[in-house]
Amino acid sequence: MSVDKVTVEVIRNACIFIAEEMGIVLRRTAYSPNIKDRLDMSCAIFSSRGELVAQAEHIPVHLGSMTVCVENTLKYLDEKGVSLSEGDVVIVNDPYIAGTHLNDITLIKPFYFKGELAGFIVNKAHHVDVGGKTPGSINPMAKSLYEEGVVIEPVKIVEKGELNRRVLEELLGNVRVPEYTKGDIKAQLASLNVGERRMEEIFNKYGYSTVIEAWSMVLDYGERYLLEKLRKVRGGTYSAVDFLEYGEELLKLKCTLNISSNMIIIDFKGSSKQVDAPINAVYGVTYSASCYAVKSILDPDLPMNHGILRRLRVEASLGSIVNPIKPAPVAAGNLETSQRIVDVIHLAFSKCLPGRVPAAPHGSMNNVMIGGVFDGKKWAFYETIGGGMGGRPGREGVDGVHVNMTNTLNTPIEIAEREYPILFLEYSLRENSCGHGEYRGGLGIRRVFTIRRGRAIFSLVASRIKTKPWGLMGGGPGKPGEHYVLKKDGRRISLKGNDVVELEPGDVVYIRTPGGGGYGRPENRSRELVLRDVEEGRISLEEARIHYGL
Amino acid sequence: MARCRIGVDVGGTFTDVTVLNCENGDLRIVKILTDVDEPWRSIIACIELGGIELRSVEHIVHATTLGSNLLLGQVGLVKPRIALITTKGFRDVFEIGRQNRPSLYNLFFEKPKPLVPRNMRFEVEERISTEGEIIKPLDVEGLRRIARKIKGLVDVVAIVFLHSYVNPVHEREARRILVEEGVSAEIILSSEVDPHPGEYERTSTTVVNAYLKPLLSNYLEKLLGELGEKGFNSKILVMQSSGGLTNISRAVETPVAFIESGPAAGAIAVAYYSNMYGHELSMGFDMGGTTAKASMIVEGDPLITLDYEVGGKVHSGRIVKGSGYPVRYPFIDLAEVSAGGGSIAWIDEGGTLRVGPMSAGSSPGPACYGRGGVEPTITDANLVLGRLSRILAGGEIVADESLARKAIGKIASKLSLSIEEAAYGIIKIANTLMSKALRIVSIERGIDPRKATLYAFGGAGPLHAAEIAVELGVREIIVPKNPGAFSAFGLLVADYRVDLSAPYLKPLREESLLEVAELLEKLSMRGTKAVLEEGASESNIKVVGMLDLRYRGERSSLTIPYVENYNALLDVFHRKHLETYGFRSEEEEVIVDTVKVTVIGITDKPVMPRRRVEEHRPVATGFRRIFDGYNWIDSSVYSRSMLKPGALLKGPSIIESYDSTIYVPEGFTAVVDEYESIRITCR
Repeated sequence: MSVDKVTVEVIRNACIFIAEEMGIVLRRTAYSPNIKDRLDMSCAIFSSRGELVAQAEHIPVHLGSMTVCVENTLKYLDEKGVSLSEGDVVIVNDPYIAGTHLNDITLIKPFYFKGELAGFIVNKAHHVDVGGKTPGSINPMAKSLYEEGVVIEPVKIVEKGELNRRVLEELLGNVRVPEYTKGDIKAQLASLNVGERRMEEIFNKYGYSTVIEAWSMVLDYGERYLLEKLRKVRGGTYSAVDFLEYGEELLKLKCTLNISSNMIIIDFKGSSKQVDAPINAVYGVTYSASCYAVKSILDPDLPMNHGILRRLRVEASLGSIVNPIKPAPVAAGNLETSQRIVDVIHLAFSKCLPGRVPAAPHGSMNNVMIGGVFDGKKWAFYETIGGGMGGRPGREGVDGVHVNMTNTLNTPIEIAEREYPILFLEYSLRENSCGHGEYRGGLGIRRVFTIRRGRAIFSLVASRIKTKPWGLMGGGPGKPGEHYVLKKDGRRISLKGNDVVELEPGDVVYIRTPGGGGYGRPENRSRELVLRDVEEGRISLEEARIHYGL
Repeated sequence: MARCRIGVDVGGTFTDVTVLNCENGDLRIVKILTDVDEPWRSIIACIELGGIELRSVEHIVHATTLGSNLLLGQVGLVKPRIALITTKGFRDVFEIGRQNRPSLYNLFFEKPKPLVPRNMRFEVEERISTEGEIIKPLDVEGLRRIARKIKGLVDVVAIVFLHSYVNPVHEREARRILVEEGVSAEIILSSEVDPHPGEYERTSTTVVNAYLKPLLSNYLEKLLGELGEKGFNSKILVMQSSGGLTNISRAVETPVAFIESGPAAGAIAVAYYSNMYGHELSMGFDMGGTTAKASMIVEGDPLITLDYEVGGKVHSGRIVKGSGYPVRYPFIDLAEVSAGGGSIAWIDEGGTLRVGPMSAGSSPGPACYGRGGVEPTITDANLVLGRLSRILAGGEIVADESLARKAIGKIASKLSLSIEEAAYGIIKIANTLMSKALRIVSIERGIDPRKATLYAFGGAGPLHAAEIAVELGVREIIVPKNPGAFSAFGLLVADYRVDLSAPYLKPLREESLLEVAELLEKLSMRGTKAVLEEGASESNIKVVGMLDLRYRGERSSLTIPYVENYNALLDVFHRKHLETYGFRSEEEEVIVDTVKVTVIGITDKPVMPRRRVEEHRPVATGFRRIFDGYNWIDSSVYSRSMLKPGALLKGPSIIESYDSTIYVPEGFTAVVDEYESIRITCR
């Protein structure tokens, strides 16, 4: 029997609420600021066949990777001959299974209704530290996965309602701050329990067969929604190439979009081979970035569920930078590579949907990690810094903002200075960094700081230092990132994308993030806007003369 | 004319004036469109239209959303010219914000326009450390140069230096120098408006305050002048976004405190009733023509938030971070969704039925009003289902059911449903949306909605409340006597309120508790003085001292009521931490972020008359067929004005009154109580 469309919509909304409520519980009970303040977590509900039914919108990088994770985990357990039963919870963080990086720990709980498997309740959260060589586990110098922290392959952390202490102790034995990890795992378990309770209410209210049928209609709805969007797109094959930075080398990222009225295939054939550096992106990240790119271009309101994934295929050759072979290191694949994957897909889309795609944004997360010993206590600070957004058809690129795969908040200077021996000297928009065009790119950011006491190790993971964010439709490229340390003795150390420098008081770190690419030909820019930019000091008079003939 | 009190609510679209007759408790509302260029004129017009004798007015309570309307450019007052002076290197903090964008997937988003253009943001050399020591002295010459640049060109100057909340010496010196240089503009210091760490939020709060100050003081001046001319010689009280009242002179100092006071009134009315009934937990559900708002009242006090963005966007009931200007002043915690009588039902690209956020508003209005609206709305659905009478607002509107059926028919055929099934679907989906707003103020705040009483008001609230109560597991609904005017009633039962706070930012230690107590004492003396000046009597003052506490390393703090005993204080904090976050950590150091005081001056309030209750079965005035999702069933119809205290009736029933319709579904019972509220419970 088919369920009426109103009931389907009510059940669809109810499941999204459940995922959202799980997120609230997780956020409220978590220990670490990563989950509490930066909301680096996701919650979702899957059908018994492992199809994504509902997901709360928390962070783009988890968007598609949750699906990859559930699919891989179920396959893994099946191959190992492990069967699931009521009251079990499986834990996994192996990026080659769970789909992001080691810091993201995923818990999966099968949900039973009257003894029958009805679905899976899942959450994923970024843990502050999962061991490995460097505090925070994101190690810019890692040569293999095992230098990035403890690797957990799918295993039951709860078995028939009983906590498996051995599994938990083993995890806690491998991390730097066990009480944080324990607190966050407990928060994840609490969130799953709330999800389970709410699911039970829904199944009780509507009955098993109605909910299952409604879910299948929800997936059909997602599929139909995407097909409706595809109907309006000119089918064909569109390719684009962009580059990632790896020391002095450039690595190629190639994508080919195959669009027909009933399918999108995103193929990364022709991309570089994997490298011995953490910029490899596991397939889950590649998949997530692809989902994000499609959703952002076709329709930001595209409902995310398995129905869409039926019509979106992502192909990446094994052993390439977008689908590496274990144990290649992957921690920054989430951060920098995911941004570039979005860029290259957007670039391919610009050929098929001109007028709907902005120029390239700054395209980095500009990860700053700094730590040391101060007052006999270890300290570690991590932040990401925004830059310029690409110029858009009909609109300027936004100045100084996070783009695409991240949207986390900055740490207020007045709070950071209170907690760490850092002194900030500047936080401002980087004049003249934009790509020029009819609609110019956004300006990058300048963040300048020094340490006040003790010594510290500073590391940077960033990109678009050697390459520039591209312009579109005749717009110019944005200025690349330019980062350096000015030592007390006057030496200037230029920084590459992955770099580590020791700091002492008096040394000053200059981070200048890239500007966005321009959109449209500069000569079409209105004189009024050029004058406003000069008046507001966003671009200099000289630049205005060169690019706009002022 | 009898003595009366007046409540004024100036919104971006309508201005409402509510008159409470102090002798018999009668309440009356006059409503007109807001004059967006000279909003004070709308108040005068309302007073004239209502034939109100200003000499017999005890006082006027003024609430408004003008602050937001101004920032969103919806009101045509002349915008002030403003300059911002910051520490060197940080003039763009106000524009960069927290670096986040207000929308994850929409590439065409916009951030709020910076209220101060970049060339009017100036930097000066100076630096103070977190400990308050001067790292770099103020560059006086540099500041003089800025002064000479802006002199005569600006109406207001905001000064925000890093860490000025610990040591305001540079901000104060800067003000002195500007004045010395002959800058005649108003000068606003961040250390006086919002003395707390977090440079972006402090800058935003200070700039918003600076921006609104000339506008709103000019507005209030004009209003006072005109009222005076008409013979008004009593006082005006201004409602703040916290729901508390203040006098004009304080309001003019911190206009940022009354940016969004219009919507707060409904929560105040619920709080008043909760106290009257002795309800521990209550939720307010206020549904009007375009939106539904949810509020939460705990032990008679509305939940307050400091996490508010003025002029920001709301998505599914939550404020979208980064879409507006953050303002760190107390706001009543409201969750708002786009579901009101005029909300439009439509079919999305996946073929699914959706409701809102588009609204037919009051013009053209729902299809059934016959004023040119053709899209199906929630009101149309209620009419088709038989829940709503064709005669609305006492006969002012005669709805045309055939137009409603025609509009809904358009979507029904696409869904392969009958017209009444589609109408039922619209209501169900709207109810799901509105339940979400109520979940946000309860579940998301860690409160179990099943333990709360639901207050349903606004024109459409009582029509949807029963089904929403089922959704949330709420057991009892209260529909107050005049649901359509209930929000306005809140204006007339508010108390004076002053919120003061000071940063402390040091560990909580037994030996330092005295210092904390002294700081609290200073604040409460300031607050008490202010409330007394506003007209509260000494015997009616309530002072609540609070501390914002957190474990070292945590980013957000919890507010704990202050007690003198160190161990008791710590114990309360550990317990609240466990309750809120699921863990406590006795070995961790506890930090006092902020010392806060709320001083309440309790006002004389109209007492709700208590009637004698005689249980009886009232006589229905008629019958109507209503659609329950599967069948057409017979429902009794009652007239609200004929129901006396003690009247008991069973669903399915409809109770009609001038300003609202109450739907009592099958399985529910409704009773009129001694305060003439209708209590609805599920059998």
